[in-house]
Amino acid sequence: MLSKVTCFALNGLEGVPVEVETDINKGMVSYDLVGLPDAAVKESKERVRSAIKNSAFRFPVNKITINLAPADLKKEGSQYDLSLAVSILKADGTISAQTDDIVFLGELALDGNLRPVAGILPILISARAKGFSKFIVPAGNANEASYIEGAEVYALKSLRDVAGFLSGEEGFQPVSSRSFSAAQTSRKYDCDMSLVRGQSVAKRALEIAVAGGHNILLAGPPGTGKTMLARCLPTIMPDMTFGEALEVTKIHSVAGALSEEGIVSSRPFRTPHHTATTVSLCGGGNSKIRPGEISMAHKGVLFLDELPEYTRCALESLRQPLEDRVITITRAGGAVTFPADFILCASMNPCPCGNYGSAYLNCTCTPAQIQRYRAKVSGPLMDRIDLQVEVDGVKYDDLAGEGNGEPSSAVKARVEKARAIQRERFKGENILLNASMGERHVKKYCKLSAECEDILRSAFETLRLSARARSRIIKVARTIADLAFYEEIQPEHVLEATSYRNYDAGN
Amino acid sequence: MYTESEINLITLCSIEGLTYKNRFELLNGLESSEPDFVKCEKILIKTLTGGVYNKVKDSFYSSVFREKVLKELENDGVECVTYFSQNYPEPLKNIPCPPITLFCKGNTKLLSERAFAAVGSRRTQPEVLKALKTISEELSRHFTVVSGIADGADTAVLEGAIESGKVISVLANGFDHVYPSVNAPLLKRLVKKGLVITEYTSKTKPEKFNFPVRNRIIAGLSEGVLIASAAEKSGALITAHYALEYDRRVFAIPYSINVKSGAGCNALIKEGATLCRNTLDILDDFGMEFKPSEKVTLSKEESELLSLIRETGAAFVPDLAVKTGKKPYEIIPVLSKLEIKGFIVRLGGNRYSAV
Repeated sequence: MLSKVTCFALNGLEGVPVEVETDINKGMVSYDLVGLPDAAVKESKERVRSAIKNSAFRFPVNKITINLAPADLKKEGSQYDLSLAVSILKADGTISAQTDDIVFLGELALDGNLRPVAGILPILISARAKGFSKFIVPAGNANEASYIEGAEVYALKSLRDVAGFLSGEEGFQPVSSRSFSAAQTSRKYDCDMSLVRGQSVAKRALEIAVAGGHNILLAGPPGTGKTMLARCLPTIMPDMTFGEALEVTKIHSVAGALSEEGIVSSRPFRTPHHTATTVSLCGGGNSKIRPGEISMAHKGVLFLDELPEYTRCALESLRQPLEDRVITITRAGGAVTFPADFILCASMNPCPCGNYGSAYLNCTCTPAQIQRYRAKVSGPLMDRIDLQVEVDGVKYDDLAGEGNGEPSSAVKARVEKARAIQRERFKGENILLNASMGERHVKKYCKLSAECEDILRSAFETLRLSARARSRIIKVARTIADLAFYEEIQPEHVLEATSYRNYDAGN
Repeated sequence: MYTESEINLITLCSIEGLTYKNRFELLNGLESSEPDFVKCEKILIKTLTGGVYNKVKDSFYSSVFREKVLKELENDGVECVTYFSQNYPEPLKNIPCPPITLFCKGNTKLLSERAFAAVGSRRTQPEVLKALKTISEELSRHFTVVSGIADGADTAVLEGAIESGKVISVLANGFDHVYPSVNAPLLKRLVKKGLVITEYTSKTKPEKFNFPVRNRIIAGLSEGVLIASAAEKSGALITAHYALEYDRRVFAIPYSINVKSGAGCNALIKEGATLCRNTLDILDDFGMEFKPSEKVTLSKEESELLSLIRETGAAFVPDLAVKTGKKPYEIIPVLSKLEIKGFIVRLGGNRYSAV
């Protein structure tokens, strides 16, 4: 007998329907799986056999041929187990229910239990778009699946339950859909701006960075709180909308990095170690292309601690995604595009000995050594970091008692206002934030008065700024003006912006 | 073109294996266009070992070698000023062991002008660098300013004077090398606008022992030397001691007692060097008139903040905010303005210091 069951494959963040066809015929006893399965899928044959037997069903002793269609698409991962088992049981006549409109997803344990699989959310979203509405998924994926509206998702525990459900047994309820706001209110961050003492200059820079979507570099002696400042970034970013959260969750789901909660409701904060390779940062892989750290940081913050310690080629690979906000990974097997819209926050020591700018220790480096150290980060990458800020060279405990400072929520409120102004301004353009402005936008939206031009010119002469710094300073000045609700950029905004440019190649 | 006796000296200086002392000793035999080789050989045999002696002799007499040397120098755009040349700087002749050939790139006319040297340590405080640059700029209206090309103080001196074109940098290596390499662009500008000289052949590397030897030229060229910064043991102090030996005037910038990079300067002042706070202190000593630069006007806000910074020496932005009762982001623009106008410098770590 012949049976047909639907499953889904993942290609990047896109789900592709896969037909699992099983044919059981008379002949020599055999059990074949065709249709470009990879190792994990091939092994599923054995899992499926044991699972069927241990669920107290009969495993057919005939010639079994299973085909995964389309035959030219490579099948990877373990989500096919359940559809293989159901398909065999159907072909053998154990299950007689109609299954044409159901998508089966799940990995089988040898005892017939269902194990959660990666990528449920993107598959469900694609499947919904392709007209499927009924899904059977492992119970472990229930939370993740509950955010898809309009889908009838059954989260079941074992193959027996699946068979029972198909034969019409009572007592199986579809997963009730959850609202996103509930997940959001439970969101909490470990850090808060009010916990960072002092560092008022750096805090202000963080606010500007988030308001305009600018990348930021924090430079300062060791132990001055650079990492702690960076960790505050997500806390002052506007809350994610449901659409954004879904996008982020899709990526995390594909990477198999979803938490129990099932949805990523807080802004990601990724901190790859400086031994990270290019592939681990950008994404890639041999057969199955996985998202890298820059995609995992989508809509959040990518924090690179000790920037000059990363390999040059890993850093240079960030340049294009920083510009395009997506990354297209091309391998022999095909190309996959992952979104990568993040704020880059980097930290570094100001000099090889680390004490430049410290109030306590003398820096023993010569200017040439400092320049060589800073040149480890290439000019083109530095160009994409609009704000280059020094943190106070003061030990944490020695700071003047400024009280607790502002909480993140207050800063966030200002950021949201500034972002609203930008949304209004860029209506009809395909950008959202000041940092994304191109040369054309700068000309159109950042008109400078004669006085501002004068300041810029003299700043370039006396501070020896590189020519590339110009548009960066103007963009930052635009954001500062937005934070202060100014239509036109004022001289003090330009002046403040020029103070955030310490680490240019020219300096 | 070079005279015969000049070519003798250029050839002599292009031969490897001789020290600057050897070369100067040979000078006496080479004065006329007909070199007194007998005299030379006597000296050479006395000071050199056999193998080196033969090599030197062969090269010196070889017309092929001479032509090659001259050709290479011409191709590299190097002009030679020898002890016998008309434009050899007079002050340099008065030192015990002057270089007998100077390989020059740039405006050699500067060698005949009154010169003043300013040198210092690589680890000089930012605010001193800024002040030094201003002093150098003001000095260049009266003198040709002489320095090395190390990063830190020397770079600030050269940067200050380069606009006027009256600047000489003395290298401790040949023209094929740039040390430190970060100053390659500066070196190019110096060749174009000022003058770069060295007594070493093109291929000579910047060896450690070349620097003290080079320092005698810096001191020798100049009527006075300003030591901008020097630790207890510093190359700048060597220059100062050469200057004292050659009877040049020595100036030093005073430092607070706990500043490492100023200990040498303070020691010099104790020994009798003239204390220098600004250009006026130097020009006064030479009986020259000082024309101060145009006064830049400051707004009330700016001058208030500036006097606050002057009070404390090095001021933190957050501290200044507390003192003025303003938000840090309100004073940052004022600080930027002061920095652009050249009244304060950044020390790193959000600290500023008045110049």
